[in-house]
Amino acid sequence: MNAVQITGVTKCFGDHVAVENLALAVPRGSIYGFIGPNGSGKTTTLRMIMNILQPDTGSIEVLGESLRGACSARVGYLPEERGLYRKMKVREVLRFYGELKAGRRVNREVDEWLERFGLLDRANEKVETLSKGMSQKAQFIATVVASPELVILDEPFSGLDPVNANLITKAVLDLRKAGATVILSTHDMGTAERMCDFIFMIHRGRKVLDGTLEDIQARYGQDTVRTQIEPAGAGLEELPGVTQITDFGHLRELRLQPDADPQRVLEALMQRGQVRHFAVIRPSLHDIFVRIAGDGESIPEGGTE
Amino acid sequence: MMRRLLLVAKRDYLATVRTKGFIVGLVIAPIFMGGSGIAFALLRGHVDTRDRHIAVLDRSGVVATELERAAKQRNDEVVFDQDKHEKVQPAYVIEAIPPVADDPDAQRLELSDRVRAGDLHGFVDVGPEVLHPGTNAATSYLRYYARNAAFDDLRNWLNNTVNNHLRRSRLTGAGLDEAQADQVFRWISLDPMHLVSQEAGTGEVKQGGRQSEAEAILPPLVLLMLMFLMLMMGAAPLLNSVMEEKTQRIAEVLLGSVRPFELMLGKLLGGLAVSLTGAGVYLGLGLFALMQAGLMGFVPVEMLPWFVVYLFAAVLMNGAWQAALGSVCSDVRDAQSMTLPGMLPAMIPMFVIMPVLKEPLSGFATVMSLLPPFTPLLMMLRQASGAGIPAWQPYVGLAGVILTTLASVWLAGRIFRVGILSQGKLPGPRQILRWMIRG
Repeated sequence: MNAVQITGVTKCFGDHVAVENLALAVPRGSIYGFIGPNGSGKTTTLRMIMNILQPDTGSIEVLGESLRGACSARVGYLPEERGLYRKMKVREVLRFYGELKAGRRVNREVDEWLERFGLLDRANEKVETLSKGMSQKAQFIATVVASPELVILDEPFSGLDPVNANLITKAVLDLRKAGATVILSTHDMGTAERMCDFIFMIHRGRKVLDGTLEDIQARYGQDTVRTQIEPAGAGLEELPGVTQITDFGHLRELRLQPDADPQRVLEALMQRGQVRHFAVIRPSLHDIFVRIAGDGESIPEGGTE
Repeated sequence: MMRRLLLVAKRDYLATVRTKGFIVGLVIAPIFMGGSGIAFALLRGHVDTRDRHIAVLDRSGVVATELERAAKQRNDEVVFDQDKHEKVQPAYVIEAIPPVADDPDAQRLELSDRVRAGDLHGFVDVGPEVLHPGTNAATSYLRYYARNAAFDDLRNWLNNTVNNHLRRSRLTGAGLDEAQADQVFRWISLDPMHLVSQEAGTGEVKQGGRQSEAEAILPPLVLLMLMFLMLMMGAAPLLNSVMEEKTQRIAEVLLGSVRPFELMLGKLLGGLAVSLTGAGVYLGLGLFALMQAGLMGFVPVEMLPWFVVYLFAAVLMNGAWQAALGSVCSDVRDAQSMTLPGMLPAMIPMFVIMPVLKEPLSGFATVMSLLPPFTPLLMMLRQASGAGIPAWQPYVGLAGVILTTLASVWLAGRIFRVGILSQGKLPGPRQILRWMIRG
């Protein structure tokens, strides 16, 4: 059974169509990545799943129940911007959020999570005294302390150093292991690639990608060459069959035409310098995102359901 | 639902009453509200005792001498406190100036310049025919020139002294002797009295006793001020509180757990609890103090249940609109522009206190107090005034208030649930109306 089942959902704000005829199925126990440029309709979709907004048309089922607020106690939500009472003490605010969600006291769970995230010694301090990373961890605890079956995380890693990001990553994976379904909205394509079982991309209110990372990359084929050539400043203009070059400094990625021959590209590179690295690869999620959102490239056949 | 509602209410209540600001506010607010009265009481003893030099241009020839005599008598009686051996009142020093007939304007200008220079406090110009004024106002005038002539205490003294002397002179001129003339002017004050009542058991007639102005004005005014203060404490802060929860994205998190209407209602109940706490503290302390002072007879005990009922309705009604207005704001500037419209239902009654208190049975007072947004404050003011308003009016007013409160909470809830998630430009009245109708 799916944790979230969205069917033919459209949501407008005045004349602006925020989400158009969206269909999506989020399987239980999965981590589902939501990606898309700013203003693409991600947050509106998340708010509709949260039952904060109602769709104009279509239906949304969450955890087997059709909407109208019936299941909000089973869903945890971490918004992109922090939403904690700054003047309240950390422990108090977490107990408040947890009790509001669970409908029972969650004192023990709050202390367990505080200890896990190294915040126990700050439990009696006001939220406003916490650093950005600590507030982010507190916000995460507020989201999960009531043990929701569906966890919606909007940019959970923003403002976190690698150590704390690992803590949250581990916590998210543990939640999944415990049976929860996680929807992870992020602009960090690396995170989406590493953590998500499925990726969903929305652009201008419409679904443009939906599937596993492998499926999505397979639709684009092996049309990318990653290379390192010396000298580093060697010109790569007018290589045969290359439509675009992305310079990462140390490495460069070349996008090939569908009928281009990588062998000829390699030959051309060897004429311009000493090739240290040459690999024909699938495009990264970052690359696919930029192609759709930045270059307006059309989606290959089978790119959407 | 009830558990979540109470949780939101409890959090809001504790977040307010635990702050130092609330406790300090409890102490300071009544001082501010009764500030002018307290300042008046404190400063009443502080009189400017510098001598007042008054020039008199007596064109009648009958006034200047009397003013000099009366001033001397007054100065002897009230200027020095013999027990304290100190000057407690200014002395009035009269300077008779012979009027110049050919250029009176130049003389008035000269005297005015002396006032401006601080040499004189003021001067009086007495017309030539004041003793026997005919129809010609040009010759029978009495004019007082000073920097602030209209509000000057001296004007009253001059007015009374000159007119008493003129009337006495007219009567003695008509043949009455001085003692008879004084009898004619004997003033007997009209005392305000309570109504006479009859003891239910003994049938004994109970005299009303003398009524004081303070006794008549203070109970309704104190109750009114207390309710206004409670609105400021419990309802008004909801505008900023909701705006902050919206802009800090707290509302977005809360709405994952509670419905918008539950959130608003919870906040309203929190505000109501704050108001009841404040009212409880003030009423408790006030009644205790009056009891200790043996003044419980002045307390309109029968008004207390009405006060509590009106307070409930007023906080919920005003608070609902404040919350709705707060929900449409996206920043502090929006909230500032919404403050005045939000406060109007509480402020308009404050502007009409005096006309309503003076004539509680007038058509104006009746209509204003039956308009539901103003009923809690103005009907209570009329009831507490003791004017004996028709018995049906408070009940009709209360019915209107209850219906309006329910409608306000419902309509505000419809605005709130759209407004709390809206971003960007402040919506106009038409758009807010659309949210109210469509939800």
